[in-house]
Amino acid sequence: MLLQVNGVTHTYRETSLFRRRVAKAPVLSNVSLTIEEGKCVGLLGTSGAGKSTLGKVILGLQAPQQGQVLFQGEDLYQASAHTRKRLRRDLQVVFQDCYSSVNPRMTAEQIIGEPLENYERLSVGEQKRRIGDLLEMVGLTPADMRKYPYQFSGGQLQRINIARAIALKPKLIVLDESVSSLDMVNQTLILDLFRELQSAFGLSYLFITHDIKAAYSISDALAVMEKGKMVEMCHDKNGIFTSEHPAVKSLVSSILPEHPRQRVLLSR
Amino acid sequence: MNGQQSKVLQISGLNVKVKGKHGTLALLQDIDLDLKRGQVLGLVGESGSGKTVTCHSIMQLFDPHQIMVEGSIRLHDRELNGLPEQEMRRIRGKEIALIMQNPISAFTPVYTIGVQFVETIRTHSDLTKKEAHELAVTSLASVNLPEPDKLMKQYPFQLSGGMLQRVMIAISMCLRPSVVIADEPTTALDVVNQLQVLRQLDRLRTECGTSILLISHDLGVISELADEVAIMQQGRIVEKADVFQLFDQPQHAYTKKLLNTRPTIPMNNQ
Ligand SMILES: Nc1ncnc2c1ncn2[C@@H]1O[C@H](COP(=O)(O)OP(=O)(O)OP(=O)(O)O)[C@@H](O)[C@H]1O
Ligand SMILES: Nc1ncnc2c1ncn2[C@@H]1O[C@H](COP(=O)(O)OP(=O)(O)OP(=O)(O)O)[C@@H](O)[C@H]1O
Ligand SMILES: [Mg+2]
Ligand SMILES: [Mg+2]
Repeated sequence: MLLQVNGVTHTYRETSLFRRRVAKAPVLSNVSLTIEEGKCVGLLGTSGAGKSTLGKVILGLQAPQQGQVLFQGEDLYQASAHTRKRLRRDLQVVFQDCYSSVNPRMTAEQIIGEPLENYERLSVGEQKRRIGDLLEMVGLTPADMRKYPYQFSGGQLQRINIARAIALKPKLIVLDESVSSLDMVNQTLILDLFRELQSAFGLSYLFITHDIKAAYSISDALAVMEKGKMVEMCHDKNGIFTSEHPAVKSLVSSILPEHPRQRVLLSR
Repeated sequence: MNGQQSKVLQISGLNVKVKGKHGTLALLQDIDLDLKRGQVLGLVGESGSGKTVTCHSIMQLFDPHQIMVEGSIRLHDRELNGLPEQEMRRIRGKEIALIMQNPISAFTPVYTIGVQFVETIRTHSDLTKKEAHELAVTSLASVNLPEPDKLMKQYPFQLSGGMLQRVMIAISMCLRPSVVIADEPTTALDVVNQLQVLRQLDRLRTECGTSILLISHDLGVISELADEVAIMQQGRIVEKADVFQLFDQPQHAYTKKLLNTRPTIPMNNQ
């Protein structure tokens, strides 16, 4: 098993100095999840359900109060610094908020080059070529290398983040709403790229999204969270349409048809 | 009311260029758009085609030393392009509100949601602090945010992506502006909350006559709300049509491609 999340519970601590501590409901309560090598698990759920928090726990960025995260059999939060560095190479992320996950003073070349410099010692020319290839894979051009984040549109910057995440051919990528800001043509390009990497390198994904169609099209299994709990786990993704859980039913029934003649909300 | 008067926002001959080391680069070319009272105009297009640049030009957010905005942007009878910053500041938020593509950058990290919300309301109205607070809480509840009172005391980083996006939507709608520019307003939202936000936007346009420029790559969102749709590619509008016509008889090759690449799911009518 590539990733095993066992009974994770987490509560964010109150940070204000002036307010009394109040007992808060856990953001994650007893959440478990497994991802096999080469598989994609789609994670759905209403806003605030705890999906991004679970993503951070899996990435080793948010130590949970209870439970454990095993990545390639090693406990992420117990491992030595040396092991963690090795594990981190195989564990990449594309965050929901693409603007704050890049340094505004770095060019696209530096942003994508950062993981390559940390882990692979390439010659200057070789590294440039790799970055150019990566940019083309995500539908941009090598000429975009010299640009700074503010010179990119939202969707372009998101693709820079995707290029950085796949640069080291990791084992698992956590994709937190990573394609939601892309137009349909580019979204299809990226989803195809993910599928290709999946079969070529056995890459696995945790695909966090609100887009049920995109999740369905790329995932092998689908999971649904609600108020900090894992409420549905469909190992066969088609199970999502027959689930009896009210949270799942409400999600599935709110999918909008994509034609004005089928408007559900506004019958004008 | 004749046709001319019913136009709330009228953009004509909009050309936007950026100054670079090697000369200037065109970001937008010959954009013409107009919005009538209560109308929703959908703007759909390729990533990087200039949708956000269009919004920022209307709001006059660019530094004129770096980016040149040419052409006319009329709000009612007033030319916005080139208006002094001081006057523009009075228009932003009150007459034209922008729901930004990237919610986190709309907030200051060191102040609570409540402080920022109340401040925005009070800049543009003569409500008391208490009245502004009440209006803020009601607006937060209207976008389906649970425990709005508690939320007012939280900092932006303590909210999830979708919660922050809804706070921004609440702020931009509560002053009932004549125009709302919504740049990917529901990208971070799950389908249930998305529906709720669309309902609120529709109420705003029917009850207050607000005109909406709706940018979204989500064809479901566009088909629910838009009356008319403009398709953008590489800084130009390549097709503009009534929403039914656009979905039934797309003309431009890019539009056809857009409508045909969507993954499908095994459900009725999907
Ligand atoms: N740093 C933080 N401090 C305090 N509370 C937080 C913090 N980050 C998230 N939360 C709270 O945890 C809950 C879950 O947030 P999370 O970001 O995991 O949700 P999500 O499922 O990713 O939602 P969305 O779909 O809107 O992105 C929310 O109620 C949020 O307010
Ligand atoms: N400040 C800037 N300086 C230089 N180029 C810029 C600047 N801002 C945007 N651009 C360029 O202008 C083009 C249009 O960008 P814009 O943000 O309007 O795209 P968009 O249609 O909103 O795309 P998306 O759907 O990805 O958000 C892009 O190619 C981008 O690289
Ligand atoms: Mg999230
Ligand atoms: Mg944009």
